[in-house]
Amino acid sequence: MEKEEDVIDIARRCFLRRATTVVGGVGIAAAAVPFVSYWLPSVDTEALAAPVTVNISTLQPTQQLTVPWRGQPIWIIRRTEEMLATLPQLTAQLRDPDSLEDQQPLYAKNIHRSIKPEYYIAIGVCTHLGCIPNYRPDVGGISPDWLGGFYCPCHGSRYDLAGRVYKGVPAPLNLKIPRHMYLNDQEIVIGQDQEGVEGT
Amino acid sequence: MTIRHSFLNWISARFPIREFTKKHLTGYYAPRNFNFWYYFGFFSLLVLFNQIITGIWLAMEYTPVSDSAFASIQHIMRDVRYGWLLRLMHTTGASAFFIVIYLHMYRALIYGSYKKPRELLWLIGMLIYMTLLLEAFTGYVLPWGQMSYWGAAVITSLASAIPIIGKFIVVWLRGDFTVSTVTLHRFFSLHVIAVPLILFVLVFLHLVALHYVGSNNPDGIDIKEKKDAHGHPLDGIPFHPYYTVKDLMGAVVFLIIFSIVLFFAPKMGGYFLEPDNDIPANALQTPSHIAPVWYMTPFYAILRAIPNKFLGLIAMASAIAFMFVLPWLDRSKVRSIRYKGIYSKIAIAVFVVSFIGLGYLGLQPVSPLHSTLAQLFTTGYFLFFLTMPFYTAYEKDKPIPDRVTP
Amino acid sequence: MKKYFIFVLLFLMQGMVFAEDNIALEKVKINLRDKQSIARGAKFFAANCMACHTLIYLRYNKVARDAGITYEKMPIHVTAWPFGITPPDLSLTANSRGVDWIYTYLHSFYVDPQRPTGFNNLLIPNTAMSGILVVYQGRQVLATDLKNSRLVFGRQLQWYDELELQSSGTMTPQEFDATITDVVNFLAYAAEPYHNERVRIGYWVIGFLFILFVLTYFLKKEYWKDIF
Repeated sequence: MEKEEDVIDIARRCFLRRATTVVGGVGIAAAAVPFVSYWLPSVDTEALAAPVTVNISTLQPTQQLTVPWRGQPIWIIRRTEEMLATLPQLTAQLRDPDSLEDQQPLYAKNIHRSIKPEYYIAIGVCTHLGCIPNYRPDVGGISPDWLGGFYCPCHGSRYDLAGRVYKGVPAPLNLKIPRHMYLNDQEIVIGQDQEGVEGT
Repeated sequence: MTIRHSFLNWISARFPIREFTKKHLTGYYAPRNFNFWYYFGFFSLLVLFNQIITGIWLAMEYTPVSDSAFASIQHIMRDVRYGWLLRLMHTTGASAFFIVIYLHMYRALIYGSYKKPRELLWLIGMLIYMTLLLEAFTGYVLPWGQMSYWGAAVITSLASAIPIIGKFIVVWLRGDFTVSTVTLHRFFSLHVIAVPLILFVLVFLHLVALHYVGSNNPDGIDIKEKKDAHGHPLDGIPFHPYYTVKDLMGAVVFLIIFSIVLFFAPKMGGYFLEPDNDIPANALQTPSHIAPVWYMTPFYAILRAIPNKFLGLIAMASAIAFMFVLPWLDRSKVRSIRYKGIYSKIAIAVFVVSFIGLGYLGLQPVSPLHSTLAQLFTTGYFLFFLTMPFYTAYEKDKPIPDRVTP
Repeated sequence: MKKYFIFVLLFLMQGMVFAEDNIALEKVKINLRDKQSIARGAKFFAANCMACHTLIYLRYNKVARDAGITYEKMPIHVTAWPFGITPPDLSLTANSRGVDWIYTYLHSFYVDPQRPTGFNNLLIPNTAMSGILVVYQGRQVLATDLKNSRLVFGRQLQWYDELELQSSGTMTPQEFDATITDVVNFLAYAAEPYHNERVRIGYWVIGFLFILFVLTYFLKKEYWKDIF
């Protein structure tokens, strides 16, 4: 009972096999979606990681405020005019004085690396291996020509008062600036700006 | 040579994939007359796969500590993306597993797939069944609802019926003087690691034993007795592609039915997901009815049918023990119910009615009528086994066919 | 043979034994697709129930939060409750007790001077819950004349058979029924917020599987032509 039926058979089988494989493949891909999505942060994880609002009304000049957010220390420092004046002097000593590397949002891509020069907001994590640098605004503190900034005790990396990294230290990049925005003069939201929430 | 071809050659020189494919797929001859009842072995593998994969995912978000277990389940259902879907796949799969396994065992019963030379296959299968019951029991405790807690309390307390050391065994099982977070935590380890490993080993051995002797068939005749010029059974067909393609089709139908339950009726009227288990475990408040989940109720009904605690336990244990020795109770000269005498047919009917009846009664609260019926069905259940050596030896069988009938 | 007949008859009749609560549960028609009903129910819950009842598993639920049910406002850390009985969390009550039970329970409060709250309930005798719904439903009392009730053989007593309205509240019976239906709708949603998504995905999955079945069916038939 073979005859020409055989030849048609093979083509039909080939087609059916291919069609079933394709449709089955689509099914398996669709079935994988819940398993992959399951790994995304759950609703409560997102809530815990939500942007925080910080009140800066009581922050004094030169004072540093540390706010924990997403497991990292967020620094808010109220800089004085003297502190800001040190920034243009250091260009030659810095690795990335113009903040060309992608370590900050657009609105922090300036010499003071912030929206308002007075308030500096940064993630207080050294870009070398992740230690938390010390805030050293004291002039002459680290070395005779130290104008103020941040010093990382782990391997000696140094940053200026805008978090820009010095040359000749292990850290490769400027301190990271998180997304942030001003709700009003007293309140800053860390982790969110007009564009959206950080990390989403 | 294509990349795929040369890749396969590289592997084949170092791993017996070609030999394996020949021996167990394209060169493994199965009877051509497999019917509906032969799908359920493959379906059990499907459900096992489902339970493992959804179980792994669930274990990522579940906490096996009594203070937070219940809340972690709600966390999965509400806060984790598609968590509700994976959890419902797991609960539907648990019930599906037992439906499939019972139908799979029924097939063995009616076609004599437990008879020589498949006694060991049947024994391994029975061990799988016991292991599955343990897996289901430990798993059911994990949500730490009222039924989880009280079910664990009742079942662990059964051990106290053992003479002399019973009470000590209960404390040893629980790890505490009452069912507590200690019990929960160790049941979690058993459910997620220990018992699944045992299950994998047993399923593997089950398949090895099956392939060694070959499958039985609805007519119960040995296809290897009549071979063609190539040495292949005349009534056999290569497992691949014929049964791979047939099982694939069957699997899709199974998935349709599974999906209907999963998406439209996952609670199944309170039998797959019990309402009392949506109440957090409370050691100081017993639910109005404590009943095991539906797949354990036949044995529970037998336990309750006997008024004496110790004898009830013995009866329940014997109910399972008799299943183990089935191959040696059946003294019929034929395998399949199709060719056995009238008594075997009546006996199987009595057994099925008793088993289902017991299952139903196990779900109901105790009452005099229910007790009487449970005793009646228990008798029917045991009579099936106890009288089998006699009616199978002396009944008049029909002549078995030469070749398989489709 | 007669014995079996009696067994079967008794077996069937056991369904006619009255429910443990002595009254039947009125069936409520919930519709989880009715988003406005759920929102109304949520608002009512926030205004009337949340003073005592928590919904802890709805902490991150958007529908609940939009209606004003927030974790901070729930009485989670209250330890001193009247009569020492903590009002149960209601996140899963629609599952554990069922929607019909909740609907009937909320309708079944009646005046009882012997209770400290002044009210009792047909479904939970001597309940510690106050008559918070009385202002809406009106004051009900136990019906004095059950002989004239609408009891028909085979139909169990309903709550409205056993209670009669003594003085009206701010809602008509129809308005109260509609409000409680909204609340029950919301609680049903609260127990299973993923319900609609589950059903929706279900249609797609089964539709897809049918297509896959057609393909695998013909694939099987094609290969099995070899056998016959």
